[in-house]
This record gives sequence, C-alpha cells and structure tokens, in this order.
Amino acid sequence: MAIKFSKTFLLRKLHQLTGIVPLGLFYFVHLYTNSTALNGPRIFNEHVEDIHNMAYLLFIEIFGIFLPLLFHSIYGLLISGEARHNVLSYGYSRNWFYLFQRITGIFLFVFLLFHILNFRFGLIPGLNMTPVAGNADQAYRIVAGEFQIWWVLLIYFLGVIATGWHLAYGFFLFAVDWGIVIGEKAQRILLQASLGLAVLLSVAGINAAMAFVRPCGLLPQVLCEAPRVTAPATRHV
Amino acid sequence: MNPGNAKHEKKRLENPPAKFKLRIQRRQNEGAEVYWETFELPYRRNLNVISALMEIRKDPVTADGKTTTPPVWDMSCLEQVCGICTMVIDGKVRQSCSALIDDLLIDSGSDTVTLQPMSKFPNVRDLKVDRSRMFDHLKQVNAWIELDGSYNLGPGPQLSNDTAQERYAYSRCMTCGCCLEACPQYHEDNYIGPQAIAQARLMNMHPVGKMEMEDRLNGLLGEDGITNCGNAQNCIQVCPMSIPLTRAIYDTNRDITINALFGWLKK
Repeated sequence: MAIKFSKTFLLRKLHQLTGIVPLGLFYFVHLYTNSTALNGPRIFNEHVEDIHNMAYLLFIEIFGIFLPLLFHSIYGLLISGEARHNVLSYGYSRNWFYLFQRITGIFLFVFLLFHILNFRFGLIPGLNMTPVAGNADQAYRIVAGEFQIWWVLLIYFLGVIATGWHLAYGFFLFAVDWGIVIGEKAQRILLQASLGLAVLLSVAGINAAMAFVRPCGLLPQVLCEAPRVTAPATRHV
Repeated sequence: MNPGNAKHEKKRLENPPAKFKLRIQRRQNEGAEVYWETFELPYRRNLNVISALMEIRKDPVTADGKTTTPPVWDMSCLEQVCGICTMVIDGKVRQSCSALIDDLLIDSGSDTVTLQPMSKFPNVRDLKVDRSRMFDHLKQVNAWIELDGSYNLGPGPQLSNDTAQERYAYSRCMTCGCCLEACPQYHEDNYIGPQAIAQARLMNMHPVGKMEMEDRLNGLLGEDGITNCGNAQNCIQVCPMSIPLTRAIYDTNRDITINALFGWLKK
C-alpha cells in the first residue's frame, strides 16, 4: 500500500516548515539589521539601504516574507482554534507552553499587522505616515520618532518578547514534530536550549528597540563607539 | 510498604471529619440536561470513590433529603488494570477504584469530592461514557499483526531486550481514555490521540508487524492524524500505566518523516 497524505498533514508540515524557513531565518536577519542601530543612525540607515538595494528584493519580499507569513499566521489561527485549553486542571509546564505558543501566535498576528502598516507602509492614522520602504535615509528618524510614544514602545517590547518565545519554542516543536529529537532526555536538553534562546532573542530585541531611544540601547556607550570613518562617506545622501 | 513506590504512598487524614460530601454531575441519558447532586456520607477509613458510590447506591438520598435515582458508573477489576471506572475526579481524570477519599480530601483541603464523567466521550448516563471510538481508532491504525497465511510462517524473529521492554510498556495500555481526556487537541474527530498512536508503534516495532507499517502510517496521516498533536504532553503525565506515550508519538513522527514525507526520495 502506498502512502497517502491528507490535506491536513501537508498543511501542518508546511506550517511547521514556514515557521522555521523562511520566517525564522528572516527574523534573525531583521533583528541583526535593527541591532545595527546600536552603532548610530547612519550605520542603521546604511543597512536599510543595503536591503533596499538587494537583488530580487520584490520577489524575496513577496515569496520569502509576505506569503509565508500570511499562510503561517492564518493557518496558525485555525490551529489555535482547535485547542481546548485545560491548564487549570492539568498545570504541567509543557501544557502551559502549549498555551503560550497559541497566545503569542494570536498576539503576533495583531502585532505584525500593526508593525507592517506602521513602518513598512506608514498607514496607521495618527502615527507615522512615511513608509520606511523607499525612504532608507529617514529610517532611523521614523522609528525613533515612533518610539517617543510610550505605548508604541511598549507594544514593540511585547512584540519582540512574543516573537522570541514563539520562534525559540517553535524550533523545539519543529525538532519533535519532524522526529528529529525523540528521547525524553534529549528533549529536556533541547527545551532548555530553546528557553535560553527565547530569553536571548527577547533581550536582543528589547536592546535593539532601545537603540532608537538612547544611543547604544541598554548597553554602556563605550561598547558602541561608532567605527572611525577613514574615507568620507560617499554612499549616503 | 514498598519504599520505591513512594509516589503512591497512602496519605491519612489526621483528624478525619465525621462526614464528607460527594458532588456528582448527572444526566438521565445521552443528550439530556446535565444537573448536579450532592450526597453526604459518614467518613470511614480506606474508602475509595467506588466504595463511596456503592454506599450512595444503598440509599440514594441527596444531602437536601431528596430521594433520587442511584448514580450510574462503570466498574470491573477494582485494581486499576481494566480502566473502565475512569472518570474526572476533582477536575483530574483517573480511575475511581484507586482514588482514595483520604488522598482527595487532603489534596483539595475541603470536605467535598467532585465527580464528573469524562468530557471527551459520549456521556451515556451519569458517570458512564461510551468509549467505543477508541476501538475505532485501533481499527483505523491496523493495530494488529497479520499472521494468517496459506502456510506455517514458523516462529518470529527474536527481539532485542530493549525493544521487548519498550513494547511491553506500550502493551500495558488498558484503553481507559485518560490520555484523550487530558489532551487539549483531542475532541470529537479532531485528532486520533496518543492511545492509538502508541498501539500503532507497538505493532510497528514488531519484526513481523513492521511489514505492514505503511498501512498503520496511512491510518495516522489522515485529517485527524498525528500532525494534530500539539505537544502539550499531558498524556504522559496522566497515563495511569506510565506508558511512554510521547515517545511513541515522536518515534512515529520519525517513521513518517523518513518513510512518508521523504519516501519519494527512495523511489
């Protein structure tokens, strides 16, 4: 008898895969770019401009980010709707993590909608109206301006914490759902590593956001001395 | 008492109350309205939930003095090996034969024990549920080994000790339904659940059963298949037989990744 896949099976596997590649991969690149703001507005704007100058940018944006994100988030909401949460009766840590994964997922759906409209398109009424896309020279100024509003900054703090959790625990879930890590002991080690990664990603995300509020973010400024420019900067307007 | 079995050490109430209450979720028949009745019983040493229910059955009068029908529940072995007396006791699923009143009163710190039928199965009446869907799941995953042929197949190949030990653990399943009740992904036909996956694994680990592994994997690749596992891992926590249910799921995940998802690479 030959193997027959159901629609659910294929969609679940695709959901698990899109969370890691491309979305997980993209988040690391995104976080790295944000973190360059630690070295000052000029460096950050240059990195944004480098992204704008990428080959196949539109294709990468559509097929590498928007479509996977749309699929992962909408199918994720459907999966979240299946859950019959019971942490009050069965308060085991993994059961809580199962709940967190769904709560962070639902929160991220709303957060990312806000985030993309706010910065990529500049379309949230009352907030920033200049899209970062196409305005690399103003990128730092736009973000720093938004982060002067305390509740916007708070939303972004929550956003990076939720992303840190969802992605790091997502790595764990991917490893067990694809039968890569099976045994109890191996899973315990991987889980600890994932929780560590969640903390690391959250701290790095908050620090990157703080870099738009104060130079060098939460770190002492001596760590972020801007590199000496030997030749005059010519690439920038 | 066996010192290695400290987890199951019996607790004793220091100052037992003269009376305690049983609060029971009731229903006359499938689909009928749910209602609650509370019964008051004199406390006795070593009572378990079933002996308390048997006391009520002798004289079914509620705490308010109303005469009612005796509560209905299932029971058989009375030593936690048949699984039929499974119900939700103080919010947690377990066998009522091994649920001691002393333990329950100490854990809850109250004078009341609450009994409910399992919520994930059709409720026939009071505490009795219809668990035949678990048998349907076993059929769905071909949880047996084809032996009948036109000639004698002879003795099967020998198993390593490790494999035999692991298979023995899976074979302890008594189809009680605790894992399904506690699973947040299991309800109606959403997910086949750990019970059937573990039995498929038991048969897939057998050298002869391995020959029909694809049939069993197909039973787990449907709309209600193994990918609907959400990894809350409640199943392994509540299993009264300590079956490594999550291991069965993850080992089967590997079988599926290798043989089903990437099976075409071998073609």
